[in-house]
Amino acid sequence: MRKLILITMIAMVLAFALVGVASANGGPHGGYTATTDACAGCHRAHTASGAKLLVAADTTALCFTCHGSNATGSVLNVTDGVLEATAGSNAGTALNGGGFGFYNGSATTSSHDTSGAATDAWGNGGGRGVASALAGGASLTCASCHDPHGSSNYRILKTTVNNTTIAVAQVDEGAQTYDSEQWGTGQSNICAACHNDYHITAAGSGSDVAGLAATGGTAHRIGMPWNGDAGTAAYIGMGTANPETSGFGGYTLPLAETGTNDTVECQTCHLPHGTSSAMTGFAASNGSVAGDSVLLRLNNRGVCEVCHQK
Amino acid sequence: MTNQTPEKDLNQVETNPTEQTDPPSLQDLQEEIQAEDNKKRRLLLLLLLLLLLLLACVCGLFYRYLQKPAPLPEMVPLPVEINYPPHYLFSIYGIDQPVGVALSPGQERLYVAESGGERAVKIFDRDGALIGSFLPPRTTPGQRSPVYLDTNQAGRVFVTDRLQHAIFIYDADGIYLDSILGPDLSLSEYVAKHVGTIEPDVTYAYNLFEQDVYFKKGEEQELNFPAPDHESWSPLGIFIDRTGRMLLTDVAKEKNSIRQLPADVTMAVNWQEFNPPTDTFGTFGQGNGQFLFPNAAVPDSQGRVYVTDGNNGRISVLDSQEGFLFHFGQGSGDGALSLPRGATIDEQDRLYVVDAVGQDIKTYDVSGEDPAFLFAFGEWGLDDGQFNYPNDIVTDSTGRLYIADRENNRIQVWSY
Ligand code: HEC
Ligand code: HEC
Ligand code: HEC
Ligand code: HEC
Ligand code: HEC
Ligand code: HEC
Repeated sequence: MRKLILITMIAMVLAFALVGVASANGGPHGGYTATTDACAGCHRAHTASGAKLLVAADTTALCFTCHGSNATGSVLNVTDGVLEATAGSNAGTALNGGGFGFYNGSATTSSHDTSGAATDAWGNGGGRGVASALAGGASLTCASCHDPHGSSNYRILKTTVNNTTIAVAQVDEGAQTYDSEQWGTGQSNICAACHNDYHITAAGSGSDVAGLAATGGTAHRIGMPWNGDAGTAAYIGMGTANPETSGFGGYTLPLAETGTNDTVECQTCHLPHGTSSAMTGFAASNGSVAGDSVLLRLNNRGVCEVCHQK
Repeated sequence: MTNQTPEKDLNQVETNPTEQTDPPSLQDLQEEIQAEDNKKRRLLLLLLLLLLLLLACVCGLFYRYLQKPAPLPEMVPLPVEINYPPHYLFSIYGIDQPVGVALSPGQERLYVAESGGERAVKIFDRDGALIGSFLPPRTTPGQRSPVYLDTNQAGRVFVTDRLQHAIFIYDADGIYLDSILGPDLSLSEYVAKHVGTIEPDVTYAYNLFEQDVYFKKGEEQELNFPAPDHESWSPLGIFIDRTGRMLLTDVAKEKNSIRQLPADVTMAVNWQEFNPPTDTFGTFGQGNGQFLFPNAAVPDSQGRVYVTDGNNGRISVLDSQEGFLFHFGQGSGDGALSLPRGATIDEQDRLYVVDAVGQDIKTYDVSGEDPAFLFAFGEWGLDDGQFNYPNDIVTDSTGRLYIADRENNRIQVWSY
């Protein structure tokens, strides 16, 4: 019976895989064929004694077997947040996602805890600043966000996260680079799947100070053009330099490609894996997660400065 | 043989008296028999005592061996034909996610590369006592990642570093000597170009993440000069044979290959002139003679080279001229591989392959024309003798095997 279920599941996975799933270039994630041998890299090779398939007792440890600091099976070292390319100047450049242990050569000051211990996510239905359990009592691992079998989403992000269906397209088609972001407007959907209460798109929501105080956490609007809806730029004293291309003070922030005025997403301010940004003074004590860098890309509130340039 | 005979005697004697009690004979006759019996009994007792002593000796030795599993090389020469798996002896702890292991040429020291914590290379003696540890100079943990390593006959330790894209060279005690930065560039060669000859009292270092080379002569002010261009290579697996020939696996982005460095290069006193002939084989891919993240390349006694072709889940075999012969281990059935990583070959031409996802060590007899699967040992788990994403293995001539058990943060020592 167990075997039957397994076989059916394999058949299903294979069937899905065969229906044009985007595959990581050169990787074992998807792009399988009917005669594929690529399952063995993550599942124990079949033995004569039967289908003892999944060895992913610890999914994250499996991923680190190829993507860890020794990067013995991939050029994507997510422990150190380093792209193990070697040609010319991009040797050792930082990965888009940040790093779980180190980032830009320094130890991380915050990261998504993929050890399997974290079960509650901020703003997961209970309001900003409140952490509530993920669907089904699941714990956070690499496979909470990524589908190791490949998916139609950018960076094999899952199509169902925390019981929410999401679509995240890759935008800059062509050569897949891991050191310059290529996501589009759907990118916030992955974060919103677990932190929905931070997903605020209505104009002016951020100035609802009373609401902020009541629920905690930043309620910065997302999904709008980087310089605001037409006509609002003067009101908030926005700088005129595009934060992605020109930046401010030597810092840039990524935006979702829309063609004209690129938009602000969660990942404009946050890194999905982890960051080594330093929080001192005000920034160290503010927010729901006291004392850490809440995955922010830049030191303190540096991210704000890049757009608002006060 | 020897312990069989007295047992037989014992049986005989024990049955004797019962046979003789049958006819109720005279007293003196009985006494005579008694005397004879006593004599026999005494002899027997002596023999028994001797036997017990022997047993005690064997037990004692075995106990000592268990307590302190020192090799018993003279006493237990490795049988020529072994086709049973080895057994677990003990573990060495105090290591953070070990990924690479190597032995000194005299086999009295074990070098271990860590991928967690400080990411140091640690030195242990045969009993697992820590002797010391060393690191590439001028690097922080997020900037270094020692993976595989080996020693040459002079005892020098060569460590590949995935983050630095270099091979660091140390002496047997871990004193830093030099780095190989590319297929034809060593750090000392680069430094010498800037400062002329390198005197014994200089130190130099280079970290790929910093754009400078550091140079210091005696007590003088430290000098910085621009870093060399990054070479398009990424050394990973490393093996140095008795003659000094070095086999490397190169996992440069989308340009995976096997490289060979001649003995005079690895055995050199220093590397200030570093221009080895280019000797590479293979490309990136899934076809014959192609590789996806090859992790180890080891030669057998016929001169063939076995490459653990990681993400292809197979072993590719090259001939002594580095021509592709065949591959094995893909598919299903006995001896099929999931994610082959570190490998080693012992003196009987048995190839040991660490299967990181299979969570065991697969052993093949490669002495003949075709490799024959012998046995696998280990399984997933946290207990003694179980593995949690193992990554590398090394054997010695006494039949010991040292296995880097990554997620269990230990080295397991097995033996025949
Ligand atoms: C990159 C590693 C990787 C590869 C390659 C891989 N798997 Fe998986 N597989 C996993 C992980 C990890 C899980 C557990 C997912 C989780 O924790 O949610 C899994 C789970 C499964 C499951 C259980 C159902 C599910 O999706 O959770 C099946 C069935 C399965 N895999 C089949 C396959 C088949 C068939 C192949 C080859 C075509 C394959 N896998 C290739 C990593 C992999
Ligand atoms: C057998 C080795 C191996 C394992 C195990 C593995 N990966 Fe990968 N992964 C690769 C390779 C190879 C690539 C392609 C990039 C490269 O060449 O290094 C890749 C690419 C990726 C990418 C980028 C995909 C894209 O669209 O560009 C993601 C995300 C990823 N892996 C996540 C995971 C996660 C999560 C796990 C654990 C469930 C995992 N990997 C396990 C080898 C592996
Ligand atoms: C909270 C969701 C989330 C979790 C958990 C997560 N990832 Fe990711 N990962 C992402 C996102 C989003 C990206 C795309 C980053 C970008 O391009 O800006 C990404 C990118 C990647 C990449 C491509 C390289 C890069 O940095 O862009 C790899 C490889 C990867 N992840 C592996 C992993 C592994 C291994 C784990 C577990 C240790 C993991 N991820 C856990 C969301 C996640
Ligand atoms: C699968 C659910 C899930 C997804 C998707 C997810 N998160 Fe989280 N996130 C969590 C959980 C659980 C925690 C709390 C445990 C922890 O800190 O890792 C958390 C914590 C955080 C924190 C606080 C970190 C700290 O310092 O403690 C931030 C900031 C955050 N997430 C941002 C994001 C962003 C931005 C994204 C999208 C790229 C995202 N999350 C996607 C589950 C998720
Ligand atoms: C304009 C920059 C910016 C954007 C865009 C942004 N955040 Fe944040 N986020 C912050 C800052 C700053 C903090 C820390 C201060 C605080 O918590 O109020 C934070 C904190 C968090 C936290 C930690 C919990 C908490 O309340 O402190 C989570 C979770 C989070 N953000 C999720 C998201 C999600 C999900 C999105 C997209 C829907 C998003 N953020 C978009 C700047 C941003
Ligand atoms: C990528 C550019 C960008 C970044 C980074 C950014 N902002 Fe904004 N900010 C905007 C835009 C655009 C608006 C106008 C939003 C609207 O139309 O409601 C805005 C509006 C505001 C407002 C006015 C209230 C409102 O929602 O209308 C405040 C206050 C503010 N931002 C604070 C911050 C802080 C604090 C940070 C750092 C955590 C930050 N911003 C980072 C672009 C940015």
